[in-house]
Amino acid sequence: MKRTNIRIAIQKSGRLRAKSEKLLNEWGIDCEADNKGRLVIPCNGGEFEILFVRYGDIPEYVASGVADFGIVGQNILYEDRFNVGVVKQLGFGECRLIVAAPKRSSIKTVADLEGERIATSYPNSLRKFLKKERLGATIIKIRGGVEAAPAIGLADAVCDLTQTGKTLDANGLKIIATVLESQAVLIESKFLSAKAEKFKEKVLQAAS
Amino acid sequence: MKKGVEPAILKGTRDFLPADMAQRNEVLAKIKNTFEKFGYQQIETPILSYAETILGKEKENSQKMAYSFKDYGERDIALPFDLTMPFSRFVAANWRDLPIPFKRFQIQRVWRAERPQRGRLREFYQCDVDIIGSNELVCEAEIAKLITQVFDELKIKDIKIRVNSRKLLNEILTGFGVEKDNLIPAIRLIDKLDKIDNTAVVEGLKKLGIKNAAEIIGVLKTDKDNQATLKQLEAYDTTDLQEFLRLSREFGVDETRLVLDPGLARGLDYYTGIIFEVVSSDESLGTICAGGRYDDLSAMFSSKEFSGIGVSFGFERIMLFMQENGLIADGKPSSRVLITVFDEGSLDGSIKIYKSLLKASVPAEIYLDETNLSKQFKYADKKNIPFVVVQGPDELRDNEVIVRRMSNGNQKKIPASQLASYIAGYYEAN
Repeated sequence: MKRTNIRIAIQKSGRLRAKSEKLLNEWGIDCEADNKGRLVIPCNGGEFEILFVRYGDIPEYVASGVADFGIVGQNILYEDRFNVGVVKQLGFGECRLIVAAPKRSSIKTVADLEGERIATSYPNSLRKFLKKERLGATIIKIRGGVEAAPAIGLADAVCDLTQTGKTLDANGLKIIATVLESQAVLIESKFLSAKAEKFKEKVLQAAS
Repeated sequence: MKKGVEPAILKGTRDFLPADMAQRNEVLAKIKNTFEKFGYQQIETPILSYAETILGKEKENSQKMAYSFKDYGERDIALPFDLTMPFSRFVAANWRDLPIPFKRFQIQRVWRAERPQRGRLREFYQCDVDIIGSNELVCEAEIAKLITQVFDELKIKDIKIRVNSRKLLNEILTGFGVEKDNLIPAIRLIDKLDKIDNTAVVEGLKKLGIKNAAEIIGVLKTDKDNQATLKQLEAYDTTDLQEFLRLSREFGVDETRLVLDPGLARGLDYYTGIIFEVVSSDESLGTICAGGRYDDLSAMFSSKEFSGIGVSFGFERIMLFMQENGLIADGKPSSRVLITVFDEGSLDGSIKIYKSLLKASVPAEIYLDETNLSKQFKYADKKNIPFVVVQGPDELRDNEVIVRRMSNGNQKKIPASQLASYIAGYYEAN
């Protein structure tokens, strides 16, 4: 089926959702307000279509060309390789991927991570970091609740995203190193239509 | 001491210790994977063969080279000295069952009754790839790409693929008045251009009745780059070489690695088109891969004609080059973890730990004799096992284990239930 609209994939629920929607408005895309529960919303008389999807799936949608654009954090592109282009940084959704250890643990510096267990949902990013630091540590892959891993005895340290550091603090963790500084970016398919190219130019010209 | 038979081996053969085999297998796996990535399929042919299927047309030559004997049934048997003859028989016998064009690879031992020297043994491996059933130059270009890919995988960057065309060589020789019957003898002489003094080649060519022998040698020179060499050959038909170079570019073959060498001859008389010879930066080691286009592979065995192209990688020379140039790491250890047995009472606990690793597909082993820990550690060291696990009475009571990383002596106590994920996580990270 040939598609003639411009499709943009954004986060269905989470910290990027509200700011992503606001940005779309700034770019002149008007979504109807009462779209609760619907995942595909046509806008501007069908000229645009917004896909509200699971955050982690956005790069795949854009890579496969079902969406022309997407809004994701850089951290997600650092973790997995996708065949997408980065159009621009969006100046929101700032966060850091860090390595942290319990305040009272013997792990004080990066070097102390040698031989230790590090829990994370970002194994590839952590692997790159360990490689760069020439450390032999063990990656414990879990999907969520990473901050709790040291307290329950699953790991000696964690590698996780943080914005304010509050959650880390609440779990008695202290930052040892920064793996990556991240913010939201607009990504594009490598197979854009002429129409989508035009929209991209407009977005690039808009004040950032 | 009891006196027995001397544990000697024949000259030109070798024993391979586990460390050697680990290295060899790693290199072999890379070669094999690359062949498979290009869609080549593996075959094997028998080692024990009827001599007549091995010796081929150039009987006098190959008889000197091949190991042969009579078996109990008085049959003449010979061992393969390369993989081309066995493949040509294989195709004649099995072509009906093969997809054509057929892309085969074959990695087997061959035997040569020659005087052993550096990089040349009596018993060694060859890795052959061939495409049969297509005359198109795209085959040649694919093979060129395959050659560069194999050496890239092995991190042997500095290779040169010398290329020539037998058709061109024949045209040049004929132009200089070489009679058809003298073409092969002349090519054999030209093949020696690199090896013996050029004046000897000139003398040899003169004996074959070639008047302007010195002039031929001049035409067969490689110029500063391929375009210049082509220019120098303007008077001759170089369309197949040009098309080959163009297609190779399309395949992404770095052209600085392809060297047009009009003097390249390859002594064997079955080549009919593009020929290859690959050398490393250590030219004293000789050719590390060679081959070319042939017509009628199975002429000896069948009336069915199979044109094809193939190259053979000299595995032993490649190994030698990699070892001498530090391109080869210690091979992977057979197991990643040695589970020690602390004392008689802890054997069952150690077996339980071993089972948890087995279940998680972590290559591991348990120490199989009763001895002290220090001997068990020495065993791990000698076997290059990276992690050693100890569970003494205290750890057994607490359901814990001590993991020791042999490379730096780091020790860590973790729950026994987490050992498998600890080791797996380490390899996930490295």
